[in-house]
Amino acid sequence: MQPLANVTPFKPGSRAGAIQISNVGQVFKTATQDVVALSDVSLDIKPGRFVVLVGPSGCGKSTLLMMLAGLRQQTSGTILINEAPIPQPDPNRVGVIFQEPSLFPWLTAEENVEFPLALRRIPRSDRRAKAVDALKLVGLEGFGKRHPHELSGGMKQRVSIARGLVQDPPVLLMDEPFAALDEQTRMTMGDELLRIWAATGKTVVFVTHSLTEAVYLADEVVVMSARPGRIVDHLTISLPRPRTYEMLGGETFGTLRDRIWRHIRKSA
Amino acid sequence: MSAATLRRLIVVSLVVLWELLPRLGVIPELFLPSLSSTIAAGWNDAGEYGHALAVTLYEVGVSMLFACGGGILAGAIVGSLPRPRVLIMPMVSSLYAVPLVILYPVFTVWLGIGSESKIAFAAIYGFLPTMLSTAAGIQTIDPQLLLAARSMGATLSQRLTRVIIPAAIPTVLSGLRVGGALVIVGVVVSEMLISSAGIGYLISRYRTILDSPHVFAGVLLVLAMAIAFNAAIKWIERKASIWQTGTREGQRAADEIQAGTIQPATA
Amino acid sequence: MAGLGMKAARVAVVVALFAIWEILSRTGIVDPRLLPSASDTLLTLVELLQRAGIRNDLAVTASEVMVAFILAVPCGALIGFAIAENRYFAEVAKPLLFFAFSIPKSIFLPMFILVFGVGFSQKVGFGFFSTIFIVIMSTTTAVESVKVEHLTVARSYGATRLQTAFRVYLPSMLPVLLEALRISMIFNLTGVILAEMYASREGIGHQIATWGENFQMKQLLAGVVMVAVIAMTFNELIRSVETRCSHWRT
Ligand SMILES: Nc1ncnc2c1ncn2[C@@H]1O[C@H](COP(=O)(O)OP(=O)(O)OP(=O)(O)O)[C@@H](O)[C@H]1O
Ligand SMILES: [Mg+2]
Repeated sequence: MQPLANVTPFKPGSRAGAIQISNVGQVFKTATQDVVALSDVSLDIKPGRFVVLVGPSGCGKSTLLMMLAGLRQQTSGTILINEAPIPQPDPNRVGVIFQEPSLFPWLTAEENVEFPLALRRIPRSDRRAKAVDALKLVGLEGFGKRHPHELSGGMKQRVSIARGLVQDPPVLLMDEPFAALDEQTRMTMGDELLRIWAATGKTVVFVTHSLTEAVYLADEVVVMSARPGRIVDHLTISLPRPRTYEMLGGETFGTLRDRIWRHIRKSA
Repeated sequence: MSAATLRRLIVVSLVVLWELLPRLGVIPELFLPSLSSTIAAGWNDAGEYGHALAVTLYEVGVSMLFACGGGILAGAIVGSLPRPRVLIMPMVSSLYAVPLVILYPVFTVWLGIGSESKIAFAAIYGFLPTMLSTAAGIQTIDPQLLLAARSMGATLSQRLTRVIIPAAIPTVLSGLRVGGALVIVGVVVSEMLISSAGIGYLISRYRTILDSPHVFAGVLLVLAMAIAFNAAIKWIERKASIWQTGTREGQRAADEIQAGTIQPATA
Repeated sequence: MAGLGMKAARVAVVVALFAIWEILSRTGIVDPRLLPSASDTLLTLVELLQRAGIRNDLAVTASEVMVAFILAVPCGALIGFAIAENRYFAEVAKPLLFFAFSIPKSIFLPMFILVFGVGFSQKVGFGFFSTIFIVIMSTTTAVESVKVEHLTVARSYGATRLQTAFRVYLPSMLPVLLEALRISMIFNLTGVILAEMYASREGIGHQIATWGENFQMKQLLAGVVMVAVIAMTFNELIRSVETRCSHWRT
């Protein structure tokens, strides 16, 4: 694991993706009633930005991410990722990391990372090389031969991130990826993620319930309201990068966090 | 003393008691002939026992093919389709209450007293638990794994071969363990009831002429078969179970099957 | 839980199976001598139930089952407790029990005949033998299902041994114990019927075996239906008690 210190802020590059969400709505038809999960959501995300979604539980954050991943189709509106709609999962454009690491327990860490490549029949030697690189990037060099049950929670989530990165997609979606981790691991994982982000230049959409985490990580924080989910605030976090632990106690940090908290309390 | 040592000691002393008690006349040789005379009886008629073993093994093998193949297939179908599952599972577990052995006379009428009736009976005997545990195994697959595979662009058939089947393996294996054990039971029981060949047949025939050593030589052979089967399954499980610790659900299903909560009566 | 529609669908499946049976036999697709029609079988069943001999057979089987059960459950439960209460015993005994559980018990039938002769005590003995292992194993599971936290709480409030037994152990174990009773009964019934089929002069298992040997298909199928219905009814009965007693389990 490299320390965070000498990380330079990232300059948008070719492997960053642009996301355009226009007037998107999602209605779930259940046996008893229609649930409007999202209504009229519009959001523009520039390539290479780190965007954090926050909002009360059940406001549709996961639903929005599922639609960005092509795992679910919106009932209205359009979603464009690098100028094209996403009617089905496309791992070349979007990598997804879930709250649970969702590693296949019968595969080693390396094989788990290779999994998306194996699905595309990429030759074994190429995929091994890519997996090794990805694992190195997340700081798991030398752990490739282990099975998931031989890894700690934080390490598992690193493998999951490596799996999301292995095809070098321009967009990375993360749904509460660190929620299941203890606070210390969570802090280190946040720093690690920033390092990886800075090194690769992806566009990241990150969902969390932790306001501290949101402000600490983000370029922009998008605040959503309770059902039906709408965007109620969109702030730019102007704190300089690299972010440091000392900033957490600073005045700017507090003000930003308060502002988000007030929105969430009002709508929940 | 460690538990394993004591356990070995118990097994060894049981074997020794089997030899000593009849020899010392504590137990009449008619009820329990000593181990040495049992082995001698089996050795002297090794040809007969060998032939019987071949017949029994053949029946066990074919039944296992039907019971386990059919059970895994049916279980996979029932387990992955929610509606048939809700419809069928309670009926199947209700069927468990029926002493299936009463079906054997029906099979002898239909198929005669040769191998066919034994195979039919044993296959049905082993089918249900294999099917139930496979269905349980498919159900306990973490839906999050399927979602993750889908997010990586896995097609339907890739999800089946690369996620569903490997994830179901531990539960299917414990189904095989129970199903296979029941197939052995089914074959031996049916041979003992009405038949003209096999180890069960030898046990029954020597019983009617009160030749205890020969009866127990058969019993010993069946015990050896059960031990061999258990060892084989353990070996397969070890080979396939590097990751078993990873799925609590699958482990619990396996435990339940082992504890007999979803297992029909063995006779 | 299953809705009304599901229940109706299940009834429909059973009715359909009987209908197929009836049609196969009536149309002669299957030789009616090998498969008498469902209606004939049910009529035979009614007729059988009116025979004093058959009712006597049922009574014999029932009494064998009851005696074996009454003997096996306390014995098995006692051994099960002893094993579960002591970690060391449990570790020693469990693999042995699993093995005993997995071998075909039927191979010991000749031994029971040699020792007890053919008769009541031999059936009870074999029924006992087929049941006791599952009772031991389920009791162990039941004891292990008692949560350590609950015991600690009880102790911290100063519960006596007796109070702990009645207020923590019993209610925690009740659902598992009922389940154990149900499964033990299945094993017990199987053991007794097998013993009757193997060598006997009376009992319903003996009748079924005899009908089979004499190719009396109508009686044979009627007997199979009879035993199956009795077993399933009994099973569902215990299961309904079970659901009532375990309402607090989630
Ligand atoms: N498959 C579905 N069918 C019906 N309703 C659904 C379905 N999936 C989600 N919903 C509803 O849509 C709304 C948004 O759900 P979603 O999971 O996106 O919320 P979330 O913001 O991710 O919540 P959390 O912060 O708790 O993860 C919720 O009210 C939920 O009940
Ligand atoms: Mg969510």
